[in-house]
Parts: sequence; C-alpha cells; structure tokens
Amino acid sequence: MAPPSAEELTRRKKLEVSPEIVSNQASTDLPGHWPGENHEWDLDYFKDNFNVQFHTHSPHDATFSLTGIDTSVSNAFRRILLAEIPTLAIEDVFIYNNTSIIQDEVLAHRLGLVPLAGSRDGLRWLKWYKKPSDDDEGSGTPSDYNTIILRLEVECKWQEGGLARAVAGETDPDKLYINHNIYARDLVWHPLGKQHDMFPAGQEIRPCNPDILLVKMRPGQKIMLSMHAVKGIGQDHAKFSPVATASYRLLPTIDILKPITSADAKKFARCFPRGVIRLDTVSAEDVANDPQLEGQEGEPKAVVDDPMKDTVSRECLRHPEFKDKVKLGRVRDHFIFKVESTGQWESDELFLESVKLLKVKCQRIKRGLDEMIR
Amino acid sequence: MSQQQPNPQTYTTGYTTGGATTDTATIDANARTVHYKCGDCDQDVPLKRGEPIRCRNCGHRVLYKQRTNRMVQFEAR
Ligand SMILES: [Zn+2]
Repeated sequence: MAPPSAEELTRRKKLEVSPEIVSNQASTDLPGHWPGENHEWDLDYFKDNFNVQFHTHSPHDATFSLTGIDTSVSNAFRRILLAEIPTLAIEDVFIYNNTSIIQDEVLAHRLGLVPLAGSRDGLRWLKWYKKPSDDDEGSGTPSDYNTIILRLEVECKWQEGGLARAVAGETDPDKLYINHNIYARDLVWHPLGKQHDMFPAGQEIRPCNPDILLVKMRPGQKIMLSMHAVKGIGQDHAKFSPVATASYRLLPTIDILKPITSADAKKFARCFPRGVIRLDTVSAEDVANDPQLEGQEGEPKAVVDDPMKDTVSRECLRHPEFKDKVKLGRVRDHFIFKVESTGQWESDELFLESVKLLKVKCQRIKRGLDEMIR
Repeated sequence: MSQQQPNPQTYTTGYTTGGATTDTATIDANARTVHYKCGDCDQDVPLKRGEPIRCRNCGHRVLYKQRTNRMVQFEAR
C-alpha cells in the first residue's frame, strides 16, 4: 500500500473547529489504526520530526512551541511543571502576637502563598521535611538541612507629629504612620548552620517579589511571628508550585477555501484579533489563476498572516457571508506552551526540569517492570 | 552534619493567681499588675487586683484585656 500523501498527513492531524462541535480530536498515528501503515514509535523518526521553537524568552515568562510530539507526553510535561517540581514555601507559622485586624489563620495563609527564592544549589541540597503524625514519625525534628526560619516583627507607630496632623484633618496614611504597610520584603531570614554556606550573599532566601502587601496596620498594632519554610511540591499544596501558570494550546489553523474580497475581507479581518488576517490587493495574476476573482483586480483580499495570534473565537463562523468559505482548525501535534515562573527558577529551566523528572519517572517504571519479569 | 534545632515552642505563662485570699475591696500590693487598654482613649491602664476598673486618664469604665503573648501555631494552608 502506498504511503499516505503529505496532504493526507496534515489532514489527519488537524482538529476541525465547527460552530458547535470540535471533531477529529483523537490521534490516529497508532499501530494498527491505518491498514498497511506502520505507526510504531520510533526514536529516529521522533528525532527527525520533533522540534522546539522559542517565541518569547524572559526569566519569568516563556512561550515556545513543541511540534511533532504526542499529547500524552506534552501534557505530562505540563502536569509535572504544575505539581511536581519542588520549591520553598512557608509551612508553619508561630504567632506570638498579632494585634492587627487580619486574623491569625488568614495571615498564616497569606504568608504561605508568598513565593520564596534562594540559591538553586541550596534548594537542591535541602532535604524534605515531613511532619510527624500518629502513625508516622515523619522526618524528625526541623533542622538546618530541611527547615528555613523567617521572622516578621513589626509594629505600627505614629510619625513625628502625625497625631497632630491627623487631628488637623490629614488622612494620607503615608504622612501619618510608620510601618502601616507590611510587605513581603519585611520577612527576615535567619540562617541556621550550613545554610550560611548553601545560601551565600546574593543568593540568600528572600521573597521573589518584595512588594507583596501582607498586612495593613494602624498605630498600636503589632505583629510578632516566626515561620518555618520547607521544600515541597505543588501536588501537596499550590503554594509549592514553581509556576504561576504552565499551559499549552494547539496552534490554530485558518483555511480560506474561497476568496474573501472587498468589504467582506475587511469584515473578515475584524472577526479575528489584530495581526491574524492581512489584507492584500488582488493582482492580475490572482485573477488569471482563480476564475472566482474575475473583475476584482485592485480590490482587497483576506489572507491569513499569523494564525498563532488567533484565539479561535469562531466569530467568523457566525456570519452567513463567510459560510463555506472558511474552515477553522487546530494542529494536534503543535503545542504552544506558556510557562510563567514564580521566581525561584527561570521558565526555560523549569521546562528542562520537567523533562528530567519525566525521565526519572520512566526509569522507575522500567525498573519496576524488570522486577516483575524476574 | 550540624544540627541546629529551631525552637519556637517556648512561651511565657499568662496570668497566675497568688494563693492568698484577700479582701477584694483592699488593694493587694503584692499582686501582679495586668495591663489593659482604655476603651475610650486607648491609654494603657495597669491594674492590680482590687483596684477600681477605671481609666486613669479619662475615667472611662470599659477596659479591654490585651492579647496574651502565648504562641499559637498555624499551618500556612
Ligand atoms: Zn481612657
């Protein structure tokens, strides 16, 4: 049997987006699906077809495309990014005094959600801390190799002459009080033992975003607490997730089946986000090639410019004038990833880390299978 | 490996009553002073047992007890 043509292959991996349904979603490049074709997974074939392309690349925000990879694998990367890469977060809060209007448990919860950063080597060196429970003694006492201590000791006071200004009618808190806004930068890290060496100056443990507002206070209010931060993973609690979001979408496709020209072309372009549809002028050559463009030379014509910018709102499918002229879809094996780091790791680093973790998981399964066979 | 244990579990004990029973009308000079806050002028009001419950600054009769310094542990979840 002849191998499938290139058109057939692109058709196979295109999801069809119609006004109310999405069809052709499932992959078919599996052994036994197409008679006479071999779709067994092959490393060399994968190497030839797999591709990574970066679109934006900044420490806390990366977008890149993975092409020629199955959904199961890229979804595994996404899930590992969200839930299995370890970071540091505050786990226990010991409150000695809190006379602010924010309740102890709410304050503790807020503190837990503050993303922390520190030396990467230090973070890898840190061991897991497991709390003791009734039937499990856990990992023992908190020590320098599994617990980070932070403190928050603040008190709000009147500024010099603030009270007099308040009586005179001043209401701006910045002109009346000191320490009335408590930010993440007010958390003070108290290094223990080996932590001095593992988290050297410049890579000390600190909140990634110093400007996170934790509490608002007024004169006479006071907060005194200490915190234990431990290493954890997103599976346990979202505060440990190293990403603000890690998601992917499939590359949209827009196929203009019949030419869309003049006023319709402008309306068509407005159905999409800016930059998706370009307006070209119908040339004499176009007219010669396509009888449907007869007598439309010099008129604007809708051309797909950058389908990646499309949000697939399906707006163009609502208008009767574009009926049967356009087909929307998505490429099943083109994943546009967006990884936003919370600050401990860089976004591209995080992706590599997810690949590493998937590898480790596969090796674990392989070992388990070997064990079973033996 | 060095093992330094963080120890947050220390706490100060709160108010304790002395063993001797005294007449409530007389002021016990040996009793501990407890600090209250005036409900009107926010002044600190140190009181001993038997003293009239009254602000020394403005004479207001509603006083609030301060929060204890006892440690409370929370899970940041
Ligand atoms: Zn008073």
